[in-house]
Amino acid sequence: MKNFLYILLSSALLFAQEKKKDTFLFEFEQDSLEINVGEEKQITIRLLNEDGDLAQNPFYVFGQRKALSASPRISDSTGLAVVTVKAFKPGRAYLRTRTITVNRNDRISDRLLINVPYPPLDRIVFDKMPKKLYAGTVTSFEVEVFDKANLSRPDADVVLKSSKNSVASFDKFMNLEAKKPGKITVTASVDGVKKSFKVNIVKNPTQKITINSNVAEIRTGDVLNMNAKALDKRGKVLNDVPLNYSYTGQADYGTFGLPTSGLITDDGRFVAETAGMYTLSASSAGFSSQKRVKVVPRNVEKKIKLIGHGLITDVFTSDLWVWPGIGKHEGKDFAVTGTWGANGEAYFWDVTDPTDMKIIDTVTVDARTVNDVKISEDGKVGVITREGASNRKNGFVILDVSDPYDVKIAAAYNDDMTGGVHNAFIYENHVYAVNNGRKYDIINIDDPYNPRRVGVYELDTPGHSIHDVWIENGIAYSSNWADGIVAVDIGAKKFDEADRSSLQYNPLLAKAGQGSPSNPVKLAELEDPTGRNHAAFPFLSKSTGKFYVIGGDEIFPWGIGALKDEPSNPRGGYHFLNFSDPENPVEEAIYQVPEAGSHNMWIVGDTLITGNYQGGLRIVDISGELLGDIYKQGREIGVYLSLHENGRIPNSPMVWGAQPYKEYIFFADMNSGLYCIVIENEEKTEAP
Amino acid sequence: MKSYFFQFILIITLPVQIFAKDYYVYCAAESEDEVALIRFDGKKAYVEKRIQVGVWPVEIEGPHGITISPEGDYWYLSMAHGTPYGHLYKYKTGTDEMVDRVELGLFPASMEISNSTGLLYVVNFNLHGSHEEKSTVSIVDPEEMIEIDRVETGVMPHGSRLLNSGMKHYSVAMMSGELFEIDAMRMAVSRKILTKPANNKNQSMHNMSHKNMKKMDHSHMMSNSDKKGMAEMGHKMPPEKPTWVYPHPNDKFVYVVNNGTDNVVEVDVDNWKITRTFNTDKGPYNCEVSDDGKFLVVTYKTAGKLGIWNLKTGKEVAKFKNSRKITHGVVISPDSRYAFVSVEGIGKEPGAVEVFDLVKLKSVALAEIGKQAGGIAFWKMDN
Repeated sequence: MKNFLYILLSSALLFAQEKKKDTFLFEFEQDSLEINVGEEKQITIRLLNEDGDLAQNPFYVFGQRKALSASPRISDSTGLAVVTVKAFKPGRAYLRTRTITVNRNDRISDRLLINVPYPPLDRIVFDKMPKKLYAGTVTSFEVEVFDKANLSRPDADVVLKSSKNSVASFDKFMNLEAKKPGKITVTASVDGVKKSFKVNIVKNPTQKITINSNVAEIRTGDVLNMNAKALDKRGKVLNDVPLNYSYTGQADYGTFGLPTSGLITDDGRFVAETAGMYTLSASSAGFSSQKRVKVVPRNVEKKIKLIGHGLITDVFTSDLWVWPGIGKHEGKDFAVTGTWGANGEAYFWDVTDPTDMKIIDTVTVDARTVNDVKISEDGKVGVITREGASNRKNGFVILDVSDPYDVKIAAAYNDDMTGGVHNAFIYENHVYAVNNGRKYDIINIDDPYNPRRVGVYELDTPGHSIHDVWIENGIAYSSNWADGIVAVDIGAKKFDEADRSSLQYNPLLAKAGQGSPSNPVKLAELEDPTGRNHAAFPFLSKSTGKFYVIGGDEIFPWGIGALKDEPSNPRGGYHFLNFSDPENPVEEAIYQVPEAGSHNMWIVGDTLITGNYQGGLRIVDISGELLGDIYKQGREIGVYLSLHENGRIPNSPMVWGAQPYKEYIFFADMNSGLYCIVIENEEKTEAP
Repeated sequence: MKSYFFQFILIITLPVQIFAKDYYVYCAAESEDEVALIRFDGKKAYVEKRIQVGVWPVEIEGPHGITISPEGDYWYLSMAHGTPYGHLYKYKTGTDEMVDRVELGLFPASMEISNSTGLLYVVNFNLHGSHEEKSTVSIVDPEEMIEIDRVETGVMPHGSRLLNSGMKHYSVAMMSGELFEIDAMRMAVSRKILTKPANNKNQSMHNMSHKNMKKMDHSHMMSNSDKKGMAEMGHKMPPEKPTWVYPHPNDKFVYVVNNGTDNVVEVDVDNWKITRTFNTDKGPYNCEVSDDGKFLVVTYKTAGKLGIWNLKTGKEVAKFKNSRKITHGVVISPDSRYAFVSVEGIGKEPGAVEVFDLVKLKSVALAEIGKQAGGIAFWKMDN
């Protein structure tokens, strides 16, 4: 019996080895192929047996979609194919082959490297080409290289050279140091492509530097404009002489006097992050001027007092909205909260007495997540969004909330909204519903029981995607991941010079006036190179008149713990994008809590209120000019960590978003429900 | 004597060993962003593992379709939602570790790997929008995880199955009421046919569209506003709304599920015409034919039931009410013994995988999994 089994096993192994030996081999006419974009080349491929003859077995050939095509895709029955290969984009690609066999284990694959060279470089573009520079100054240059396909080629290794290094020379970071008067030619070159311009280095007439600021003391976060000038020997201001700015100092904290921390810009604006004594310096051509500034703590911290808490323990809580009652409920206050990954419920609360917030009604719709909840300004209509509906139609549900104790479903709207509505906004009897993550649909709800679509706004960028939309004064501010912030006129009032309200400082309003819900018109935009743009909120600074749109990130580098009943660890920040010049918006400041996430925000006056997920609720002073790292500047007014031992995930703050309402701030925590806090006037005292 | 004793023990316990099989299926929970591995031991079904899938933590990404590589080494999962495009994910069976992913089109859904080309064919369902645009079938090399090509078919393609030969791929276009055949080698549409049964008495499109709207499965039903919108757009959607296609093991027929008109039609592959119509319960959605060719098992999504049809007689031999209201997918074990059925549930209700004995024609087990259980694939049988 033993012998029989041995023979059987040996035979099987022998058979397997024979099988392995009987393999085919692909023979490509060349070891690799080089094809230019748009070019076609032919290559012969043979499938050979172990004797080197055609294997008499077909195989197929394929490239990669949008990169490489192959035709025909199948060889003839002998194992021979003459394949035409066409390249569509530069880089390395592979032409792949695979035998066609009955037994899939016998299949043999191979591949041929196809090198698709990048198109030849075409031109170099300087960021500036000055005709004159002053001796004793350093000027930074940037260049951009384009290829024949007009694609930017940041990988190109451009070298900048001066024709006379004794007069002016470049360092390896493209900074040109002008040493003495003379004429030079600056040349940028890469792979045979060159761009040159002539520069006249002239004697620097600077004889003095002045700093024209009388400010002796500032708080952390305050921006000091040094207003430095270069003067000639007659005291005439030299506006075209570049100045260098720097600071030194000693911070107040630490026994040994730790270094100060701050930011000084190329145009001489300074902001400090730590209190201490700073020396600011402006210099040019060997001349310099200094100014000493005392920086004191901003001291804006206040006590935060918990007024009430409506604990939700069995499901995750999503967004919230708070509004005043109407009709028979006038004088009362109500809130609605959504639920996440649960049973499609929205909870309605009576929050008239925020120390005793009670759920007074529950609306259940066919959904797993009610991500967003909104109430109309007149307090009559509510909208809740649906995701994970059992019929996959999703969309949103319109509610009659006139009586929050007895909320009625007016209509479910899901036409063309199968992918889910993640967020929505109600503005002047229209619902703006972020649809399928691609666009926002605009639905007229004059009659909430008979909603009808009147408009759609969708970007036209490749692979565009949208997350949220917020509307103020007839302008819709959408957040669009990599496409960033987009401001759209959906019925903003035309600029009226008779209107002297501060609202008119919003430069987007000056551009508006053509849009309507059925004709949305783009006003301005700013891409987000990180692709994290998740929320947008307009901010017209009361103290400076500057107009920002604040873009909030969302990123979970390590996934979400909620699905595993564990705390999450997201990251992100809030970016202050200055849209005062709508044609050239620029990021000027960021509020980013280290080791915490960012989610939704609200601005009231010059105060930012943020939901920072595991970082809790944050209240931030954003008055005055904004520059640099706001978190480090001591601008936080208060922090509330909303953890609860009986939370959905116990003892784990996860603040979704907040809304200031009357003297309170209401906010929703994913893990523990609805909170109400108040900022006390009393300043926070340091612990002994 | 000792060896005789062991042989005797072996002989008397052999049948037990043969029949004591463990069956393993993977099932996706679309609103939980989770895939469950279910083991069925012939009596009970156990959730062996729940695998969290996707990369966007606070969005529902929607794992929809799932298939296993022919060798059983990998499972592939389509994730419907992205920003905006969906992805195909590759996981290793057993360890369930993610291997790779590739971006595809809008709402990639059902899929299968060809026995001849070894390539994976996945429909880009694209249920978004006004249902006017034709969509595609993506063809992916599942080893390298690169998308090779896209083949345009009809509006909202769904169901993606190949003949056993692996030479022909079939999918249906839900909103254009068509069955498409793709030559798996040439990667091009070779034939198409309307899925309307030949003896359909409801010839009037206008009358049918209204009538069938009312009895159509919820998952594809239009609200009043939908209808109005469609009317405004001048749509003439065929009422059949085919949602699935499955080939007979003999490769001579394919079975198309007409969700909108409550029937399954048998299409003769050679003659490319509809040969039989099986009138079903409400809202048939998925189907599968047992490997022995005896049974056609159909999920009735609207009715929340499962129908088992004898293909020889063309009669429904058993019908079961499922544990939840929305019945979704079905996969049959290779021994043709058991049908594993995914049942979605509504709201917070967990989804489930139910097991039906095709020999005894009875329900035998149930395992609760995540919300909205949908795509289901058979992995292996172990003795």
